[in-house]
Amino acid sequence: MIQKILFIFCLFCIAISCGEDDNQNQGYSPTPVNIAIPAILSQLLPPPEIPINNPLTEEGIALGRALFYEKKLSADNTLACAGCHKPDQGFSDQRRYSIGIDGIAGFRNSMPIVNIAWNTKNKFNWDGSANSLEEQVLEPVVNEIEMHNTWPNVVATLKTDPGYLSGFEQAFGTSTISQELVAKALAQFIRTLVSADAPFDKYLLAQATLTPLEEQGLAVFLDENRGDCFHCHGSPSNPLWTDNDFHNNGLDEDFTDLGLGDISGDPGQFGLFKSPSLRNLAYTAPYMHDGRFQTLEQVIDHYSEGLVFSPTIDPLMKTVAQGGVQLTPQDKAALKAFLLTLSDPSLANNSAYQNPN
Amino acid sequence: MFKKAAFLVLLVLPFVACDKNDDDQAQQNTPVSVGFLHSFYEDEVSVSSNTIQYTNGFGTSLSITRLRYLISQVSFTNQDGIKTIVKDYHLVDLSQDNSLTINDILLPPGAYNLKMRFGFTEATNTSSIYPDLNAASWNVPENLGGGYHYMQLEGRWLDPGDTPDEPYLYAYHTISAVQNPGPENTREDTSIEIDLGEITVTQGATQINVNMHIDQWFENPNLWNLSELNGLLMGNYTAQKMMQENGQNVFSLASNMGD
Repeated sequence: MIQKILFIFCLFCIAISCGEDDNQNQGYSPTPVNIAIPAILSQLLPPPEIPINNPLTEEGIALGRALFYEKKLSADNTLACAGCHKPDQGFSDQRRYSIGIDGIAGFRNSMPIVNIAWNTKNKFNWDGSANSLEEQVLEPVVNEIEMHNTWPNVVATLKTDPGYLSGFEQAFGTSTISQELVAKALAQFIRTLVSADAPFDKYLLAQATLTPLEEQGLAVFLDENRGDCFHCHGSPSNPLWTDNDFHNNGLDEDFTDLGLGDISGDPGQFGLFKSPSLRNLAYTAPYMHDGRFQTLEQVIDHYSEGLVFSPTIDPLMKTVAQGGVQLTPQDKAALKAFLLTLSDPSLANNSAYQNPN
Repeated sequence: MFKKAAFLVLLVLPFVACDKNDDDQAQQNTPVSVGFLHSFYEDEVSVSSNTIQYTNGFGTSLSITRLRYLISQVSFTNQDGIKTIVKDYHLVDLSQDNSLTINDILLPPGAYNLKMRFGFTEATNTSSIYPDLNAASWNVPENLGGGYHYMQLEGRWLDPGDTPDEPYLYAYHTISAVQNPGPENTREDTSIEIDLGEITVTQGATQINVNMHIDQWFENPNLWNLSELNGLLMGNYTAQKMMQENGQNVFSLASNMGD
């Protein structure tokens, strides 16, 4: 009992001594917000996982949006994140390889970055090289063939801009800019990039119908004996249209790019790449991690008769011995028609995602 | 200042008043964890791997590149017959360490019968109703009966004498058995009740481990020939029934693993 009274007394002292500090923090009050979640996503998916140490705020999202379009993140002030993740291209890049500030092309196609807030496996990039969105956004800034900058230089540049000093103050309660806070702000904005207003979403909400050809394509997609697309690319029950996992989908016999295996060092993971979402295919060509296919027809042909064996090919590529699932021309046309119903025309013009600078 | 002092006085009162109840409560419940371990005969299987390192009862060499399965209705029944369901469902994924244990179970010390179910019952296997399983792409298309997978066991295999250069592939997927795949399909519950027998929860942390004997999926009572049954099994009613039969003796309490 005496111990408890002493404990309470200590608590009392702490309460008094903390009074002044409390007053010092009164000026920091960013406004908490939640992601606006479209009906189909809220019906079928768990809430997005937002890191405890980086909650969404109005001020943080606004700052992140400004930084997403900020060319000063690159060494010569010519390239922003949006330069390779363009709103009108599904937040991807229709060039096979994006071009960095020195005119050098990368070696993978730019990944679309919508609905990232639901990436519950927390592996980002084609090769899973980042374990959080906050970690992911750091790398392109210093990548020698992308923005080719240094974080100290980025921080020094942003410090000269009174708008950013104010922006960081409002978002994080400090005008001391750091790469960690830049990453947090960017991650906040990217988590708000949500796409769920495609014709197929409307179909699921009973607000639209599919054409007979699109319905046939859905059947091909969900048929284990034909498309068998659903194991890796979601389904009407998983409107992310990806499993957020890594697979070798039978593109090559030998690998010039080891993908996940390059990060893990595990030969059993050589040639594995993340399944991209099938949303917005109408805007995100070319396709595959290296953008080798210019058209959806080429993609479908690959799965139909273009599969090749390699030691790490995914067991879900069950028909590799026959070269693929051998779709009929009608099945192919139907599948393409269905896939295009997953494209969201409202994404490109969403006013919340545009350049504020 | 006065307000803070008054607040702290109020804080003292519940401490004194609740003293005995707190102690009783602490004695009543103790934390319990249920872990999931995996073995292939005598070998522990702790990670998925591309390496062909196991040999099943048919004599086929194989690897395990992926293992995910669903457990539901995890229940503890005490000696008075009172049943407590501690987890409605749980997806085990060999590649996700945090999926290999069910934590946050609190039970009074004592003897219990531990049961769980492999897969979902018909009553609980409703399409699209589990958001986390939707996000995990665990669904079964409606033309194959809908609902959710029970298990995805995948890898490569070789027959005796084959060269390892081009192993074959297998996708041993279990679901509710479906007849007439397509719009007019009918579905049959092939989930499996797992009665793990009696366990004892003692004061302090109790760890219970359940072992999946993966080898049994290929052996008992149906010796599994992967050259005949290796893929496209979801719509294969006969194969699903055989898997259900083989799954009857797959799980047991692990007495000496992971303790």
